Amino acid sequence: MDEASFSASAALSVGIELELQLVRPHDFDLSRDAGDLLARLAKRKLPGAVKPEITQSMIELNSSVHTSCAELLVELEAVRGAVAQDAGVLNIRVSGGGSHPFHDWADRRIFPNERFRFVVERYGYLAKQFTVFGQHVHLGCPSGDDAVFLTHMLTRYVPHFIALSAASPYYQGEETSFQSSRLTAVSAFPLAGHIPFVADWDEFLEYFSHMQRFGIVTSMKDFYWDIRPKPEYGTVEIRVFDTPLTVRRAALLAAYAQSLAAYHFAERPQQPSRTVYLVNSYNRFEACRYGFKGDMVEPYESRKKKIGEDILDSLQRVAPYAERLGCAELLAELAAGVRGGESDANWLRGQHAAHGALADVVREACGRWEKGGGK
Amino acid sequence: MMREFLPQLPPVISHAALFGALVVLGLLVGEAARRYAALPRITGYVVAGALLGPQALGLLTDNMLFDLRLLIDLSVGLIVFELGFRLDFKWLRANRWLLVTAIAESLFCFWAIFGALLFFGFRPLLAAMAAAIGTATSPAVVMLVVHELRAQGQITERLLLFTAVNTVFAYVLLTLLLPFLHLEHEAGWEQALLHPLYLLWGSMVAGYLACMLMLRLAAWLGKSEERQFILLVGMVVVVVGAAHALKLSVSLTLITFGMLARNLDRGYAVLPVHFGHGSQLFFVILFVLVGASLEFSAFSVAAAAPVALFIIVRYFGKSLALLAFGSPSGIRPGGAGLLSVALVPLSGSAVVMVRDTTTLYPEFGRELAAVVLSAVVILELLGPIATQFALRRAGEAHPDG
Repeated sequence: MDEASFSASAALSVGIELELQLVRPHDFDLSRDAGDLLARLAKRKLPGAVKPEITQSMIELNSSVHTSCAELLVELEAVRGAVAQDAGVLNIRVSGGGSHPFHDWADRRIFPNERFRFVVERYGYLAKQFTVFGQHVHLGCPSGDDAVFLTHMLTRYVPHFIALSAASPYYQGEETSFQSSRLTAVSAFPLAGHIPFVADWDEFLEYFSHMQRFGIVTSMKDFYWDIRPKPEYGTVEIRVFDTPLTVRRAALLAAYAQSLAAYHFAERPQQPSRTVYLVNSYNRFEACRYGFKGDMVEPYESRKKKIGEDILDSLQRVAPYAERLGCAELLAELAAGVRGGESDANWLRGQHAAHGALADVVREACGRWEKGGGK
Repeated sequence: MMREFLPQLPPVISHAALFGALVVLGLLVGEAARRYAALPRITGYVVAGALLGPQALGLLTDNMLFDLRLLIDLSVGLIVFELGFRLDFKWLRANRWLLVTAIAESLFCFWAIFGALLFFGFRPLLAAMAAAIGTATSPAVVMLVVHELRAQGQITERLLLFTAVNTVFAYVLLTLLLPFLHLEHEAGWEQALLHPLYLLWGSMVAGYLACMLMLRLAAWLGKSEERQFILLVGMVVVVVGAAHALKLSVSLTLITFGMLARNLDRGYAVLPVHFGHGSQLFFVILFVLVGASLEFSAFSVAAAAPVALFIIVRYFGKSLALLAFGSPSGIRPGGAGLLSVALVPLSGSAVVMVRDTTTLYPEFGRELAAVVLSAVVILELLGPIATQFALRRAGEAHPDG
């Protein structure tokens, strides 16, 4: 089982994937120009990679591997500039955000490659409804056991990740009342959810080979878990983030995840607990629905608190590690936002209130992503 | 004794009822064209119109066509407005080669036709006017095929952009040629100078005023698609009527109106236009009527060679420009060829342009008609097929389109 052998990577190295929306400017619906934009970008020398995603309305930016999120941010801004420029030449707008507010999923066209065709064949309309946009953060782990440990530890922070990145209040033309409606589209897949409660890498491999023998999965890619070990990269991959509206926020989120990992690897303040999984779906829902204002059950203390409050507490705990990783400023910015109740979802709602139409929301979001920089 | 409750024999059918029957027939022939011959519906509408028209079955008479001219103008008005509304100056600013390509496309095409007609011994003025008319791609055909295929993508966007540019180019050039026409017919210097100035500036000012009014009204109405749609249709009807009343160019006024409505709307008051099912009805009406007004009588053996050459050099003029400048403007390899095929439809408003010239100077109009109207007949049938083929081939048509 070569695929599942864990190729170790430097602890706390970090890399991200960003799924982005391609929008056509005449009515701000999703466009279908991924192929042309990718062909154009292929002629440039960019750090990382730019790849197709399942429908022709999206592209995915892959960063290179970094130890510092400040450097990651510099790289992301450079790539953003290049993408925005090439998109401009082709009359395409580019936007962050977890969902396109009003596109019609039936209009989506699948990017023509083998894997995507298989996904459509297998999942039918779910595949097209899956036109949602997420950020994935990869954290390097020295061993498979470390990856399993980190996955269990980070699961406690799933509501935090959701609340911090929430950027999909509109879906299929409706105000969903959620801060993040995107995760509902993910939950429909049979292999969504979370890792089973395994103790170490060997036990995980045992589980994986069972699933393989049953014919339920063929590769690790078939698990659509919120957080999953990614043995071929030697990382743990967090997949619950909505793509934020700016690349800056994408770097802030990566810095938060990196600092959490540093803290848990260094201090091992808690051990994996089944209680985390017991309260997970409740906490997750609260985060999707209410963001920072949602309730969460703190699994290790067995008490309720506000998600926003627990985010601020956790930021305090990881502060020394952020200092060492050189991302203290980024986390301070993140904390200030939580205190002010600022989220991308709220910003999008503000645009709708100010302008009145969902097309305006998309236009403003495109402007914000393409411009870059800013807080 | 006559029973008075019974109708006369044969019954008198009103124009309205005939017109309804026309729409139904057009629709059916269009559907049949698609189902049994894999042709665009639009070709079916045109064929239906041609069959019913004064030159075949004669159900549609010249009088009726004249009465229905307002409907043609209204349909064309809506289409040209939407075309103008799709033209985004920001794109032209971000991609300078695009404007170069668009202008080269018009210029190359004009010179190619002009040269070919001179070669056949047409008078320079006549050749220039025919060439100007030939430069324009048909906004109506292009928009209908794009709608029908639900096409979207780089080739589609460029097709619409280049169509907008070459339509404006053709109108402006034709207007600038008017003084020479006036002089040739020994009209005074005043008329020769003032007429084109009035046409150009008048149309643009009218479009600008309509745009400013529309922006105010849209802002006041708020962002409701239904209300804005009604506003738009109403405004287009008013502007078409006003342009007629003021003897301005309907197309130039409407395309200016559309372009400015998009590009001067700093407060984003106007919602994107979605014509939906309503537009389909206009399209059926328009193309049945276009089919009915095709001048088959314009065909003559003597004109065959110049007409064929007109069509061929027109195509090569367009493709040469696209092949030369397409790549720096960001067209994918192979896209330039498809785009030049997609641009083949000849503007049906060529008929209107010829007619306008005919009313000014009947003799001159007839000479022009022989070449241009024959080309219109051929390209009205081939054009939609070419555009459909190109967009399908480019992979930009919706699979169910």
